[in-house]
Amino acid sequence: MDLFLQYLANGVVVGSSYVLVAVGLTLIFGILHVVNFAHGEFYMLGGYAGITASTAFGLPLPASLAVVAAVSCLLGLGAEALLHRGLKNQDQTSSIIASFGLAVALQNAVMVTMGPQPELMHTELAYKAIELGPVFLPAPRALIPPAMLIIVGALFAALRWTWTGRSLRAMAQHETVARLCGVKVRRVAVITFMLGATLAGVAGFMMSAVYMVHPLVGNMIVLKAFIVVIIGGMGSPLGAAAAGLLLGVIESMTSAYLTNGLRDVVGFLLVIAVLLFRPQGLFGRSLERS
Amino acid sequence: MTRAALITLAILAVGFVAAPFLLGGYELNVLMVALLYVILAVGLNLATGYCGQFSFAQGAFYGIGGYTAGILSRDVGTGFWMNLPAGIVVTGLFGLALGLPALRLKGHFLAIVTIAVQTLVYLGLVQWNSLTGGQNGLAVPPIGETTLFGVRLFEVTSLRDLYWVALVMAAVFVFIAWRLVHSRLGREWVAVREDETLAGAVGLNTTFAKLTAFVASAAFAGGAGVLNAHAMQGVTPDDFQIWISCMVVAMMVVGGRGTFMGPILGAIALTILPELTGELARYKMLIFGVLLVVCVTVAPEGALGRIRKARESRDQAASGRAPAKDPSEASA
Amino acid sequence: MTNFSRRTVLAMTGAALATPSLLRAQSGGTVKIGAMLPLSGPASIEGHQVLKGVEFAIKQANAAGGVFGKPVELAIEDDEANSTRGVTAVRKLIESENVPFIVGTYPTAVVVAANKVSKEYGVPMLSGGSTGAAGTEANTPGDPWFFRCWPDSNGQGHDTAMAIVNTFGAKKVAIIHDSSNYGTTLAAQVTRIVSDAGGEIVSNDSFNVGEADFSTMLTRIRTLKPDAVYIGGWAGDGATIVRQAAGVGLRTQFVGSGSMVSDDFIKLAGPASEGFAVATLYEPSTPNEKGKAFGEAFEAEYGHSAGTLNALGYDSTSIGIEALRRAGESDGRKVQEVLNNGMADFPIAMGPAGTTADYNEIGSVDFKNFIAVIKDGKRTLSGA
Repeated sequence: MDLFLQYLANGVVVGSSYVLVAVGLTLIFGILHVVNFAHGEFYMLGGYAGITASTAFGLPLPASLAVVAAVSCLLGLGAEALLHRGLKNQDQTSSIIASFGLAVALQNAVMVTMGPQPELMHTELAYKAIELGPVFLPAPRALIPPAMLIIVGALFAALRWTWTGRSLRAMAQHETVARLCGVKVRRVAVITFMLGATLAGVAGFMMSAVYMVHPLVGNMIVLKAFIVVIIGGMGSPLGAAAAGLLLGVIESMTSAYLTNGLRDVVGFLLVIAVLLFRPQGLFGRSLERS
Repeated sequence: MTRAALITLAILAVGFVAAPFLLGGYELNVLMVALLYVILAVGLNLATGYCGQFSFAQGAFYGIGGYTAGILSRDVGTGFWMNLPAGIVVTGLFGLALGLPALRLKGHFLAIVTIAVQTLVYLGLVQWNSLTGGQNGLAVPPIGETTLFGVRLFEVTSLRDLYWVALVMAAVFVFIAWRLVHSRLGREWVAVREDETLAGAVGLNTTFAKLTAFVASAAFAGGAGVLNAHAMQGVTPDDFQIWISCMVVAMMVVGGRGTFMGPILGAIALTILPELTGELARYKMLIFGVLLVVCVTVAPEGALGRIRKARESRDQAASGRAPAKDPSEASA
Repeated sequence: MTNFSRRTVLAMTGAALATPSLLRAQSGGTVKIGAMLPLSGPASIEGHQVLKGVEFAIKQANAAGGVFGKPVELAIEDDEANSTRGVTAVRKLIESENVPFIVGTYPTAVVVAANKVSKEYGVPMLSGGSTGAAGTEANTPGDPWFFRCWPDSNGQGHDTAMAIVNTFGAKKVAIIHDSSNYGTTLAAQVTRIVSDAGGEIVSNDSFNVGEADFSTMLTRIRTLKPDAVYIGGWAGDGATIVRQAAGVGLRTQFVGSGSMVSDDFIKLAGPASEGFAVATLYEPSTPNEKGKAFGEAFEAEYGHSAGTLNALGYDSTSIGIEALRRAGESDGRKVQEVLNNGMADFPIAMGPAGTTADYNEIGSVDFKNFIAVIKDGKRTLSGA
């Protein structure tokens, strides 16, 4: 039982990082109908920005976090111009191809400038640990689930109660009607992309103290995020939050009780099953999938 | 097919036939790889360009074809000419399996399922050691001597011989594709792409149309995979990663999806261009990414689609008729 | 106008191709040699490290006057760790650049595909990091065209397993490996030898390259209380595993695969790297004189100490350049003959003192691996 709790905790930590990346991805899809394959690169660049700020310039953590947010917002701005505004009136799959191109370009730009070797953020925190009963977690890991809760909680509150949040939700429901009601589409689009990029960037920054960052790190994380988004129901932030935690736990349990080799396979099998039998996702409302 | 397309095809055919007499092994090798990609891209275009069913799994089918050849050679001892139809059939069946989710899903969702399938196939090739040889892959014999009822026909040993086989295969596949898209079935594909509901309403069997598009598309990749396996004399999983699928999609998109010549030209261009980067080789992936973004934002219909559009509007202007549906198009 | 029949044209093309590379190679004021390595894609980290060793060897050769009185120039191709691309790259190096030998490449699967082609042209290849046994096993005994101046992964696996059982006295061993060719074959060999030597394998886990979270797997392994954990795979993953193991409280003897120990590894794994051991081909503190000299010169040039991948790139390239010098002309077949029979007196930087490029009949140089252990944040040779 003690071990089970430890496995569960490990799963929740990993799942929390999936949630941060996937919520942004699902927002961008739900509101703007853009499938963003460059989302993993937002995560990767967040990690690099954070490491550069804290290691090369010696900034304290909050300042580094601000740098990460600023870099992410700029990225979001640029990505919106390319993937949303640049693709007006094109069919859905264009955004897949364009964002894939953007992902390749960003990966290789980083590869050329920073080199292919992995980087790691060194913090004093790494040598502290937290024990909750039988569960033992190093501090950088233990911080991730509460940080995720705060960030995602704040996001949901903003979506629910602020005017900006309302206009975002209005756009997601019906673009034309939202526009008629005075929602500034362009502003909403930019904000959505900035939000998504910042969430992913912050996740990348936090994870850079746990894992390592290298130019291709986004490949796996974006696939995981897509798995989460589909399981949770595309366009549903709450679904993504629940599915992210679920995927983290399932992966952890697979590794614990089946075999580690199947860890990455399970998610994809789940996606295919979900799309075949419950295309609206485990937590999504029934929608026309087109 | 328009006259321009026929002329382009004829020029290409002459060039590819003349190549073995003019070029060295390196250039010929590049052209042979280009021919393999032509088969892959033309095949993908059937499902995506004509039928509107997006797929990121062409690399997986390419691999399934190759591994069919490898497994048959190992366990049954068959040669290239037996493996080729077997590979096409097996891959076609996998295409059918991928087509099933396509009956329920569209656009993004289908694209993501195909990505999941591509990733699963890759992981399967890596991890199913007893069947696929894991990361070591499988050795595949060269094509070698070809006999019919005990009579020796010809022998494929050198790169030049292999190139001829690839050229003939590519020509056959391109011809089949041409017949398919100009058949009743091809028109049904286009109908499904344009408006699936309407196509169903006028009595077309959309299920059949979509499944056949997937099967045909996969079968093309399977054929290319078998040839590649025998040409490389081996298969390893790393040659069939999602990257290959993305490359084929890029070739089709850059050339022009839904045009007949587009994917052919796209495959040839995107295979040859990286070889010419020279000092820029360090940046070739960066250039590739930027090219893809620019291409989709500036000319989403692809190079050929763009040219066609421009010509149509020019023709309309020249004939003095009122511009067709879209006035902005004619002025472009 | 002369009428050429198809046959004549074919014959002429054939003759043009068969013209000895000698005639084509004499132009220009440099002597070109080839390198083919994965410089983009997942294996690019290793590829770039090997390349550094290659470039350093060329720099040294040129400082010593080059070959045939001309400076040596490197023609480099990226194989993207892909067989199809590798075959194209080999043809390009041989036909367009007329290189007499190729240093390459890292992934063994690409070596096997590419070497078939280079052999047809009569151009030998010297391993650019490929350690898989399949590379040299594909050679015809007595007439190898792929040369690797260090033992294959089975040799490494054997020495690692012996160190685990004897040096570290481990009885219960847990195995972790990535799903790459390298990790899988090493793990299989270590498993076999440890079992033969009376050890017990308590678990065997694989992971996919690029996987980031190992905490659950390591927690499970902790409950098995192994005396040693073997990690077969890539240095970055090795460092992640060692760090995360410390995080889940798994404290035991960690033993990794050959190229893992480097200064970067110590930096990435932090204090958790203490006590980490590998069976390695090269260490700067080697008793091998040539190796020591290389290590010092390399550090003076690049400001960081040389790792295994730098050393093997350096050795393969220096051997190739010396063989070219001894062959007397830029001809692949002659270079292969020299490599096959005439290099037994040429000392190399890797391996124990006195190791030379004395290739056996399948093109491998077998010597005993060092056991390197990280002590006080520094790489040291066990028993040296």
